[in-house]
Amino acid sequence: MTAEILSLTVNGTKVQVLYDGVENLLEILRDKLDLTGAKEGCGYGACGSCTVVVNGKAELACVVKGRARLEGADVLTIEGVAQNGVLHPIQRAFVDAGAVQCGFCTPGFVLRLHALYAAKPDATDDEIRAALQKHLCRCTGYETIWEAALLAKRYLVEGP
Amino acid sequence: MPFQYIGRSYERNDAFAKVTGEAKFLADLEFPRTLHLQVLRAEHAHARILSIDTSEALACEGVRAVLTGRQCDTLYGACLFKDVTALAVDRVRQAGEGVAAVIADSIRQAKAAVTKIKVVYEVLPVLVDPKVAAEDTTNLIHPDLGSYFHLPGYLPEPGSNINHHYKLRKGDLAKGKAEAEVVVEAAFDFPLSAHSALEPHGCVARWEGTDRVEIWATTQAPFVLQEVIGGIYGIPHANVRVHVAYLGGGFGGKSDVTVEPMVVAAARLVPGRYVRFVCSRKEVMTSTCLGRGMTGWGRMGARKDGTFTFFEAKMWFASGSSADTEANVVTVAGHNSVGPYAIDHAWVDAMGVYTNTPPTGAYRGYGHPEGCLVSERLIDLLARKLEMSPLDLRRKNFLSEGKTNSLGETIRAYNGNLHECLAKVEADLYATPLPPNDDVYLYGRGVAAMMKSPKGAAHAGSSCHMKFCHDGSVLVNLSGIDMGQGAQQAMRQIAAEALKIPPERISVYREVDTQHSPWEWQTVASMFTYRGGNAVVKTAERLVATLKDNAAQVLKVSVDSLDYDGAFVFHKTDPDLKVAVPALVRGYMGEHGLTVGTVAEATAADRLPYYMEPHPETGMGHAGGTWTYGAQGAEVRVHRTTGRVDILHFVSALDVGQVISPQMIRGQIVGGVFMGIGQSITEKIEIGPDGKITNAMWNRYRVPRLSDMPAKQTVHCVETPEIRGPFGARCVAEHPMVAVSATVLNALRDATGHDFNHVPVRPDDVLAALGGDR
Repeated sequence: MTAEILSLTVNGTKVQVLYDGVENLLEILRDKLDLTGAKEGCGYGACGSCTVVVNGKAELACVVKGRARLEGADVLTIEGVAQNGVLHPIQRAFVDAGAVQCGFCTPGFVLRLHALYAAKPDATDDEIRAALQKHLCRCTGYETIWEAALLAKRYLVEGP
Repeated sequence: MPFQYIGRSYERNDAFAKVTGEAKFLADLEFPRTLHLQVLRAEHAHARILSIDTSEALACEGVRAVLTGRQCDTLYGACLFKDVTALAVDRVRQAGEGVAAVIADSIRQAKAAVTKIKVVYEVLPVLVDPKVAAEDTTNLIHPDLGSYFHLPGYLPEPGSNINHHYKLRKGDLAKGKAEAEVVVEAAFDFPLSAHSALEPHGCVARWEGTDRVEIWATTQAPFVLQEVIGGIYGIPHANVRVHVAYLGGGFGGKSDVTVEPMVVAAARLVPGRYVRFVCSRKEVMTSTCLGRGMTGWGRMGARKDGTFTFFEAKMWFASGSSADTEANVVTVAGHNSVGPYAIDHAWVDAMGVYTNTPPTGAYRGYGHPEGCLVSERLIDLLARKLEMSPLDLRRKNFLSEGKTNSLGETIRAYNGNLHECLAKVEADLYATPLPPNDDVYLYGRGVAAMMKSPKGAAHAGSSCHMKFCHDGSVLVNLSGIDMGQGAQQAMRQIAAEALKIPPERISVYREVDTQHSPWEWQTVASMFTYRGGNAVVKTAERLVATLKDNAAQVLKVSVDSLDYDGAFVFHKTDPDLKVAVPALVRGYMGEHGLTVGTVAEATAADRLPYYMEPHPETGMGHAGGTWTYGAQGAEVRVHRTTGRVDILHFVSALDVGQVISPQMIRGQIVGGVFMGIGQSITEKIEIGPDGKITNAMWNRYRVPRLSDMPAKQTVHCVETPEIRGPFGARCVAEHPMVAVSATVLNALRDATGHDFNHVPVRPDDVLAALGGDR
């Protein structure tokens, strides 16, 4: 196993990391770049807690592997969402709707919606449902997460 | 009584950190020069370990040490039923049990070395069914049961697999049977399920020498962990320091001591180094702990007018490989299975039985959902036989002021109002006519009632420490673990109310650390709002008394003439005579800096007011003096050809005493109901005859997703003030889950005409029940 250099853009900053060819994106973010906002809940893409935005698409970081997918990738993590200490409208919606309990799943949900609304600001309820369906939350019963998703859509247009 | 800060929703104190990813959970913490641990887990559910060869693993690149069971063979028990060791010693009792642990420089190196450990096993017969295991006296999972230390409240039967036999003997069963004019009975099955908190269990440990250790753990019970580790090594408990970072869900699964003793034992081989271990999801599901696991039977009788005359039940609980927490589950299942009803004659046998499955531990409401299923389903059977409304039948027998519960305790009006809870459920659930069955769907409705006692310990308590800062803002320090339920925000609002200071100026200290945080028994049994809240109120009273003492010296008036409004201490008859609070918090500094008075810091504690272990022969006694009652109802729809069950409307009414935050309490109740729906219709740990779990993955174990949400959830909070609760509040965290399964099954009976007495009821079960007439 030989280490090689991998170049990525993370939260708008170009970074280079040593890459052993085996690591997945979640390991790179957490272990090499100290970006621990993406969480490992299962390690096989079932829970959505590790979701980040890669080249504009929401991806499960724990299953994003291989130089072909990683080299040059433009990654947005939860650490890059709030600007200058001001919450992004989606984050504000999660706080206001009371959609945050233990918080372990929260960054994944926020980034899933970030990618969805960036591509489709007028996403339909069915499209929002399909996006949220990819995530597990064990605390809220999803009611407040659903409300936060609708509130976020409104905040993105009208402001929080 | 009008409140300023209680009963209002605020932004939670942890919300910002959690939506920005700034909140650090255990796996996010960074330590210098960390070593990593990985575990070799048993491939058999029951076997003797004939030999372990670690030589090849020790020779692997990066490996620092390998630990096996004989190096850590001290029996411990977090609930003082000492039947477990940090790793298996000479025998494995469940597939997934730790057999050896490797410490290496990296996780990959540790994983690679684990595969090089050679273990020779002699396979033993496997017991999975607790009822079968209870009768088997030749295949003993713990042959040494008779020699284990345990508290006197646990009643093991050495020479068998029965580790605890709780007996409830209230009244005279024969008399109750003689009085019965109608009798029903049924058998029940409530299989094992997985808590599935999103954050996996983990631990970091570092020894300094051999008598001092520092631990970071995903635990709801840091002080229990401190006692367990101190006890294992015979070192002063004061030398064991436990930290808890943000905790990503618990649901009871993190109140049991699980991976910590193994990590601590391994770290002792490399003193001075941080040793880190985080479970894979599979390890969480196969080796930490599971919940439920009851097989049972019940019988109930009533007079023709509906008066219950007796309740009788037998329940066998799969304890798994350790009885430690399960013995308590068994006790509460036993006395709570009678439900919130006045029944003169109740006879229950609840048994914890060793099985070759992961340890069964605390899981949201432990023992209560299992017991509730028995009585609440039997009541529906009785109602049908009596041709009475199931709601009226319940009402006729509800506990209320002056009646006695199963434990023989007299119920007072302040304990809560079941009638109001059920009335609220009825008004909502039956507001519109039930849709008529059509070609595609069958429709039905059902209700159930519940009670929950605070299963604790005689000394179960919470402590609080508070201090004013220079500017008059306040630091509140408690050791109740916020695992998502909002415990710290609730304490912040209670402190605000008690001190008359806005919540924004009150900071609840975030991290819990046994060295600096006040003592807390553990954050379990839905008792923290009650006990922690009381501790906050008592501490606040002491702080205010100090401020008044200081002001009396400044104003040269007597203390009893002073009042306090959060901003000032002032004279009652001449409010212009006043001193601002910040000027009083560290004594009062007068002319030339001369300072009088004392520093405004205080500590106070609270415990369950009336708890004692149940009587060994009758199982009766005092459970703590506070209950929460409630009722729930569901409207369901069953698809005739696919068997799919949809929850159209779920109504909960719980007597919570006093709402602290409407938004947070709804979040708790809605989330708890949904977890209950999961265990009712989708979730089940599947175990093969070899004792191995076949669905220890979230792809196969069906934790509900957004699409499983009930179309509508209605939540009512009845507020009968708790006489001893903080501002009248009582607890609610586990309660929303207690009656959900009984409610759903009662509704399914209404929809399908079939009595389901097991969970989960999955499409295949529905189709089998509908048989030919779908």
